Parts: sequence; C-alpha cells; structure tokens
Amino acid sequence: MKNIKYYACPSKVKEALSLLLNKRYKAMALAGGTLVSKTLPDSVETYLDLKNLPIKDIRLQGGNLVIGAGATFDEIDRSRLCRTWAGGSIAAAAAACSTQLIRNMATIGGNIARPHSFNIFPVVLLALDAKVRLQTGKGAKLIDFQDLYTSGLGLRPGLDSLITEAIIPAKTRNWKCEFIKLARTASSWESYITLFFSAEKKGKSVTQARAAVGALSPRPFRAPEAEKAMLSGEGAAAAAAFAAELEAARAGEYRCAAASNLLKRFMEGKI
Amino acid sequence: MDAKDLNVVNKPVIKMDALGLACGEPAFTDDVEFKGLLCGKILWSPHAHARIKKIDVSAALKVPGVKAVLTCKDLPRVPHTTAGQGYPEPSPYDTYTLDNKVRFVGDRVAAVAAETPEAAHEALLKIKVDYEVLPAVFDTFEAMKDGAPVIHDEEDSKNIPDAKHNIAARFDFEVKNGEWFKEADHVFEHSWKIPYLQHCAIEPHVTIAHFDNSGRLVLRTSTQVPFHVRRIVAQALKIPVKKIRVVKPRIGGGFGSKQEVLEDIVAALALKTKRPVKLEYTRKETFVSSRTRHPATCRLKAGVKKDGTITDAEMEITLNTGAYGSHALTVMMCSGSHTIPMYRVKNNIRFIGRSVYTNMPVAGAYRGYGATQGFFAWECLMDMMAAKIGMDPVEFRKMNYIKLGEGSPVFKAMGEGREGVEQVITSTGLFEAIRKGTEEIKWAEKRAKYAAQSGPIRRGVGAACMMQGSGIPEVDMASATMKMNEDGSFNLLVGAADLGTGSDTILAQIAAEVLGIKTDDIIVTSSDTDITPFDVGAYASSTTFISGGAVKKTAEKVREMILEVGAKILDQKKEELRLEGGKVVAKDGASCSLSEVANTSLYYYNQHQITASASHFAHTSPPPFQANFAEVEVDMETGVVKILDYVSCVDCGTAINPQLAEGQNDGAVLNGISHTLSEEMEFSTNGTPLNASFRRYKIFSAADTPPLRTFLIPTWEPAGPFGAKSVSEIGINGPLPAVANAIYNACGIRLFDAPFTPDKVLAALKKRG
Amino acid sequence: MKNSLLAADKGFFGISAAVNGEKKELSVRNAESLLDALRRHGWKGAKKGCDTGDCGSCAVLLNGKPVLGCLVPAVAAHGGEITTIEGLGSVHNPHPLQQAFVEAGAVQCGFCIPGMILSSKYLLDRIPDPTEAEIRKALDGNLCRCTGYVKQVEAVKNAAKRLKSRG
Repeated sequence: MKNIKYYACPSKVKEALSLLLNKRYKAMALAGGTLVSKTLPDSVETYLDLKNLPIKDIRLQGGNLVIGAGATFDEIDRSRLCRTWAGGSIAAAAAACSTQLIRNMATIGGNIARPHSFNIFPVVLLALDAKVRLQTGKGAKLIDFQDLYTSGLGLRPGLDSLITEAIIPAKTRNWKCEFIKLARTASSWESYITLFFSAEKKGKSVTQARAAVGALSPRPFRAPEAEKAMLSGEGAAAAAAFAAELEAARAGEYRCAAASNLLKRFMEGKI
Repeated sequence: MDAKDLNVVNKPVIKMDALGLACGEPAFTDDVEFKGLLCGKILWSPHAHARIKKIDVSAALKVPGVKAVLTCKDLPRVPHTTAGQGYPEPSPYDTYTLDNKVRFVGDRVAAVAAETPEAAHEALLKIKVDYEVLPAVFDTFEAMKDGAPVIHDEEDSKNIPDAKHNIAARFDFEVKNGEWFKEADHVFEHSWKIPYLQHCAIEPHVTIAHFDNSGRLVLRTSTQVPFHVRRIVAQALKIPVKKIRVVKPRIGGGFGSKQEVLEDIVAALALKTKRPVKLEYTRKETFVSSRTRHPATCRLKAGVKKDGTITDAEMEITLNTGAYGSHALTVMMCSGSHTIPMYRVKNNIRFIGRSVYTNMPVAGAYRGYGATQGFFAWECLMDMMAAKIGMDPVEFRKMNYIKLGEGSPVFKAMGEGREGVEQVITSTGLFEAIRKGTEEIKWAEKRAKYAAQSGPIRRGVGAACMMQGSGIPEVDMASATMKMNEDGSFNLLVGAADLGTGSDTILAQIAAEVLGIKTDDIIVTSSDTDITPFDVGAYASSTTFISGGAVKKTAEKVREMILEVGAKILDQKKEELRLEGGKVVAKDGASCSLSEVANTSLYYYNQHQITASASHFAHTSPPPFQANFAEVEVDMETGVVKILDYVSCVDCGTAINPQLAEGQNDGAVLNGISHTLSEEMEFSTNGTPLNASFRRYKIFSAADTPPLRTFLIPTWEPAGPFGAKSVSEIGINGPLPAVANAIYNACGIRLFDAPFTPDKVLAALKKRG
Repeated sequence: MKNSLLAADKGFFGISAAVNGEKKELSVRNAESLLDALRRHGWKGAKKGCDTGDCGSCAVLLNGKPVLGCLVPAVAAHGGEITTIEGLGSVHNPHPLQQAFVEAGAVQCGFCIPGMILSSKYLLDRIPDPTEAEIRKALDGNLCRCTGYVKQVEAVKNAAKRLKSRG
C-alpha cells in the first residue's frame, strides 16, 4: 500500500474497468480486501475499491442462480436462494469460510479471482458446473469456471478485467449436494481438505455426479473415476476410486481415508 | 465462620473495571499518547544457533529517523533470568539483554529505536550481521547426549546444573518402602507428549518506556509482575532500583507469558535515546519470542493391585525449556509436586525431572505450570489401571485420592527452588465434586449406554481429577495499604497485578467484608511500584490466597483504627462496637457513620489518617480440587472428535466472587480444550516456526466451543481469606486427560500425543484394527 | 472520471467520514489500516491483537457492519460511517449491550470486548432474538482467551431480551 497515490470507488463497472485499463494509474481492484490489503504489490499505485459497484445481487435469471461477484460470504450465507439451492450447500459453504468478520467483508469474486488452496468457493463452483462472467476491455465474456485458472484465459481478473458474476446452472437446483470442510477448527482458513459432492438422481439412477476436491492445491480438481463409480450408484466403489485418485494427488493417508469415507457416506446417506 | 455469614464475599459483585473496558476507555498500556514517542523494534535471529562474528550498524544508523541501534557491545553483560520470580530466583542465570550468540530462531540480535515504524523497520534491514552458524539441536533427548551442541557454552552463566549436556534443571526424588513393583498385580508404563503451546493473550506484549519529570525511567508495561520487572531490569541494566518505576495499567491477559521480564531491551533503548520508546510485539513475535508452555514427554510407570491399591509410581518428566532456562526448574517441580500427591501410593515413589535446553523458543510460565503436563499422563494412566482391574474409573479415583487430613512426602520434598513445606489437606470438596459431576454428565447411565456401540459415530464419557496449589508457601509474599477518605470510602493500594482476572474486585470484596461496607466504597489501585506496596505478582495461583490474606489483615488493622475513633464518638468501649452497613454500631444500637469517623480523625480530634498496611505469606499451599467430565463424539471414518458436553466441578474453597470464579474456570477449561483438539506450534527441521499466527495456530472461537458447565463446590479453607483457595489455573489441566479418556470410552483407542487431531485419531483406529 | 479519484498528497489522503455520528475530515497515511488511523486520531477502543485479520479485537462498524479494522485500508473508509465502541455508549450512558456484558461477568481482561460487543450489535440489529448457535456464529471472529465465551453468550442473550422489551 505504501506506493498508493490514488483511491477510487466507482459506482459503475464501465468506469472501474476504464480505470483499470488505463496504464497511467497502475490500478488493482480490491473487493473485500481481506486477502490483498496487507500484501498489495508495491507496483500498484491506484487502489480501485469495488464496493460500490452494482454487482452484489443474488438472483434467479433464466432459471440459473446468479451470484454477483460483490456478494459477501455473509450475504450468500443469508440468501434464501443460496440456502435452498442444491440443498443449501452453497450457503453452507459460505458459512464455513473463516469467521463472521471475514464473511462480512470477503466476496465470492475475491475468493475466486486467484487460485489459492484456502479459498472456499472454487470447489463449490467446480462441482456445480458454474460459469463466470468477466468484464474485459473487449466487453463481457462468459467462461466455464473450470477455465478460469487456465493459462489459455489470457486475463488477470482484478488487473485487466473484472469478475462480475458467478452463474450456477438451473440443472443443479435440485441436485443432492454436500459441502464438507475438514479442518482443525470450524473457523480455520486453511483446511485439511474441502469436498463438494453433487449428484442428480432420476428415479433410481444417478444421472450426474461430481466429486470435487479443494484445499490440496491452489486449483480444485474433480475426481473422474470416482464420479463414474458414483453414476453406477456404488458407494464403496466410488470411495475406492476416490481414494486412489486422492492418493495420486498426494493427498496423504489421512485425507485419502477420511475423504473416501465421506464420499461413501454421501452416497449411502443422500443418494 | 462460614459462607452463610458473609455479606460481600461470595457474592457476584460486578467487576469494577468492566464498564470502562466495555466502553473502550483507554485503559491498556498502548491506549495513552506520549509526545515524541519512538518506535522500538528488535532484529531477531534467523538461525537456530549461531555466533555473531561481526555486526555492522553504520548503515542502519544512517536511516533518517533512526535514533539508536543497540547491539551487545552497547550494553552491560549481566547474566540474569527473565523469569519473574521471587529473589533469588531458582532459575539459571543464562540470559543477556543482548548477546554475541543466538540460540533459537527468534532470539534477540539487536534493537532499534526510530521516529516511525517504517524507519525502524528499514534500519533492521540495514543491520549487517556476520553469523557463524553452529550445529543446532531441537530434541531434548538428543540434546542430553554426549557430543550434542552445547547451547550455553558461555563462561559467565550461573546455576546451570550441567551445561555440557544441556541440562537446565534436574531433580530426582525417591520414597522407598521395599522392592519396586513387588506387590503390584499389574504394571503399566507409557509416555505422554505435549507440544509447544502458546498463551495467546489477545493483547500482545507491549511496553512504553518513558521518563518522569525528574528523569527517572518509567516502564508502563503489560506485566503480571511489576516488582520483579523493576528488580530484574535494574539488575540487567545495572541501574539502581530507585531509578525505575513500573506501572501496570489494565492488562489484556497474561496466562503466565507476562510473568516474564522482557522489558530490559526497551528500557535500554529509552536510556540510550533519552526519549520515550514503545516496543509492541507483533503477534508473530509474541508466538516466537515471548514464551511458551514447556513441551514435555512424561513417562509414567505404576503398579496396581487387583483391589485398586496403587503400589508404586515412577514419574519421569523431560521438559523442553528451549534456548533459556527461565522457569525450567520450577515448572518441572510442579509437574510432580502438584500431581503425585493426588493419589495415595502405598510403597515406592520416584520422580525424575529434567529440563533441557534446545535451540527452540523459550518456555516459561503458563497457566497450569507443569501440572498440565503431569496430569495428562497421570489421569490417563488412572483410567488404564481402572480398566485393567475392572473398576469404574471414577470409583478407582475415589478410592485413592488424597483425603482430608492426609499429607504426602512430596509436599515437603518438592518445593520450588528450595525445599517444600509439610502440609496436610485442610479442605477438600473432591467427593462432592465427583458426585455432582457424575450426576450432571449422567456418568453411570452413559457408561452403560456407550458400552455397546456400532456405526461410524461413537460416543463416550471420560473423567479426570486434579489439584493445584494456592501460592508458593514461604516464598510468595503480598502486601496491601488502605487509607480512609472523608466520605467513608477507602483507597486500597495493592501490588497484586490484576491482568484481567478480576483480582482488584475480589480484593475489594475481602476488604469490604471486613469493614462492613459495599465494594463501591473501595477504590482500588493496582499496581505501581511507586505507589502500591510490594507483591510478588499474579502467578502460582497466589492472588486470592496470598494477596487476599494481605488485604484481609490490612482491613482488620483499619477496622481497629476506625473502632478506636468510633469509641470516642459514641463514648462506648471499643470492644462493644462493630462495623456494619457503613456504620460503627454499638450493642445498644447507637451508631455513627464512617464518614463521621473519617472527618473526626482527619479534622477534629487526635487528628490522624486512618491507614494501615499489612503483609502476608503462607506456610501451606492448600490445593483446590476439581473433577472434570467430558462427553465426546468420535467420527470413526474421519477421526473428528467433537466434545458434546464438558462439566467441571470446582472446589476453590469459598469463591470470593462466584461469577468471576466461574469465568476463571470457564476460560481455563476452554484453553485446555483448545490444547486438546487444536493447538500446537509447528517448526521446520531447522527450527523455524511455521504457524506463528492466529490464522494457522488455531485457538477455539465461540463457534468451536462446546457447552462448558462450571459448578462451584463450596468448601472452607481455614488458611485462606474467608475460606478461599485458588481457582485460576487448575481448570486447564482437565481437558487433555478427560477427553482422552472419553475417546477411549467411545472407541477403545488410547491417545498419548496432544493435540488429538483427526489424523492421529484415524491412525490410532487403524492401528487398533 | 478524474473527479471520482482521491489523490494522496505526500503519502497522505484526506478522507471524510462520519465517526460515531460526527462528520470528520481525517488525514490518513496511504498505507495505514483503518485501525491504525483510528487509534492515531484518538479512538483507542479498537485494539490491535494480531494485525492480520484473525482475532477481531480491531472490529469497528463500517456502514453498520462489523469489519476488521486492521484489514480495511484507512482510505477505504472515505465517505463511510464508522462506529467504534466509544460511539455505542459511554461509562456515563452505556448501551444495553455494554451493560449486559458487564452484568453477566463477560468482561475479564476486556481486550476483545469492544470488538465482541460490536459484532453482537450487528447480530441483534439483524436478528433481535438469536439462538445460541446464531450468537456463537456471530461472535466466531472475536477471539477471547479469558472467558470460554460462556458469559459472553449469556450477555448477548440478556441484551437481546432487554432491547426487545425496550422495543
């Protein structure tokens, strides 16, 4: 922060973006600021505060659940939509993030802007096939969440573009889902592992299945073999496949055992 | 006398400083402004063990705003201890304000004072240090071996029993009544371990060193031991005691960490610059460079007969004192002296204690003070023995715990730096505490219910009993002064250091009880070495018992003086008078108000200030007792342990203020629970701390906290003020064993290594098969 | 565009904010936190327990919501409304929450209490009749090492009752 010369708090996305793209200002965007305010790079000269941007709504749009990037964890936790969507798993994930004081400040946009192992929402969005809307110099861009951290994106949100929305597709509304954070304490930032299991059930068969893993690495990942086994409705097989995939990801003995047990429990309890 | 006769004591009087604190009044060390205040910062060692070959501060001194840079060359070399204990301290004199050697990552290298934090920080970066890195040792057992790196190889340190083997303190003791384990039907031997733990007072260590208008050094500091600060700073910097004043404002928690005298360096910066200097530790510095609990390995070997008689007990504790001796001896002694007497041992007792230097952070005083480490082992072993002989663990404890009128050879043999005192138990509520606790937790019902369980979620209940002390007998001393004002109010001046415990309030209650007034009529000042009389400070569970004793004596002297004057006013015999409801009352009903007494003494007749001082020390240290009960739920598939209920039944004699006593115990218990399930400091293989922050060293939050239920079990301790014993420390000792025993009851695994994180639980379950 | 920019002068921003209901023009360092700025300007109620956003003793209300004063850059309070513990009540006229904390015996060392009371204030503003779980969740960012949270939870329950009966 010591080189900050300007502070801006625009109320329009367009205005924010033009400031961000104006090289003269060397601006960086901050939402809640919980992560970055203490570690702002010295090269940044303009602190672009996103708090007044109209990107906070949580709403239904075309059947999809749209969460504005500026929505705080607290707002997501308290949102009726998030408390009912996918069995309330989105609100549950928001509530599991750190502490109330952080949840009052931190936003979903800030939480997904950069890959970090302690972020809560990446694993959620990955398992719900979410999309992310970005505003760039060349207009809006809609991408799959899973492409956000790939080098092919060619964008650095917060520096040359802004995340404005996370869009959770309509199909997931009634999926059976569970967010699990295994951590030293409830308020830990860092978790041993975070898990998001989701499954769609039609009649007796499982038609969609996701097993996503967070906290092991900056980018969350899905476990395709476990998901295949989930589709067959076999809890034990899914757990075994999951354990193998976690082991391959160097999760270590404890995480492999606990996470695969939890997947089995999910399959047997919720599916 | 009995608690029923009390009017102010044993009542939930409102804590006198609470409202100001709740309204954010500027009460703490750093809440006041000093003109021209400099910022002090310390350069910490990046190496676990190194000699400073050369240190060049010229570039640092050139940073604009830098007023002083101190290295060991600028200061007298005085071996001393930082342990804030009675003089002469029983601890090694192995510490220097600054030295030419560093002994752990986070040891002091140099100190800076500058106009701004930024300048101070920049100066630190510009100090050039040429280190000769030395081999380091991090494990206590490695450190004791021949040929291990010698951490204290300096010639001038004192009172280190075996520097070559890195032994900072040792004590062996044996009671022998025949052949070892001869009568035992079963012999057990296990070791229990506790890691590095930190106090985590929410206010970091902070001191402002400034000067009064005659140039005397004033240390406004977050300390538990103002008088020891004055003495040890004087010693370390070779200045007279009379040149130092120590002021203890409100303190944001201490738990033992602020029993450590670290104020020498900021005093040196102020003396060098002749300016006020503030040194405030960051949270990271508080974790690494203040003090910690002693990590310990406690090996217990004990024998038991089928009938439940404990035949023999051998306790060997190895404490890691880190780079300096600090409380090395005394914590080690308390690990045995507070635990071994808890249960009768028929034949042989042996204690083997070692406190060992390593190149790790320095351990010091921490609530529980060795008893935490000792009871973890003892109370788990008690459960194992009970299980083996098929006795209910609570019944086994009831059969063996120390009873009223009983003593222990340990009391006399194991003091704190000198021989202890003989004592017998003069009050105990343990039987009732166990009765209440088993009832509240539904012990019998749940033990039966949880005996046969299946499925992934299992429940269990576990118990632990413990004791502590009330001050250090014939070592701790406290004093108090009272004086009377015109309106019948009093100033009570105490050296006792209220660090958030509420001691100002309970001391006022004691005085008010004696004087027949309300606590509102007492204005308490604590503590200021210029104003308040001597007190060793807030540690060793001494304040209620020792300082309370001093206040009671003082108030009694004042009462006599008031009655003298009252006798004149009422024209009655002094012996016929008593103090009641703010008045001097005669047997015939005649009375005069205390304000009339005060005005008479100050203005009208035989003019004098009604004032008195008294001191108190004790020949015994009556233990408080507790029975704790935990109910847990263990997830067999994730290893997650959840505490469902925690019941803590406390015999602290008369609770001077039941509300504050409960609060003390709730806090101690939660600290213990947090130790049990979460806390541990982690280090890299070269001794660098890895989680020195509240983000990564997790202490329990309100949401993490299980239901805690404290029940006070009233008893009357004849040696204590109005029957009181101590309350503050004991509760921290229960959770580790109570939860470990509950986990065993739930799922049949024994855990020996704190904290009980899910990975350890799952590994133990797997091992058991 | 340029008009919406606040520019620093020699490393200082001039911000305007309402502190405890009073309009203030404050000079703040570009790199300083709201906590440091408030304390430097004499509001000592918010405390520095960690400076990393983990203990909550620095909590203040910014536009009605409790935030971590140590993580909010001071300049970001520009145009905002700040309530510190001093703004809630005083020893002469305490807020019912302050009174409830005192009476329940919830104040031991007191270092965490200002932040905890402000977190409680926000809770009761939103949920006048909270469950114990809601209270614990609302206070989970305010670490306390003294009390075990028992009497603080009780204090919030008592304050809720009192505020409700007051209407």
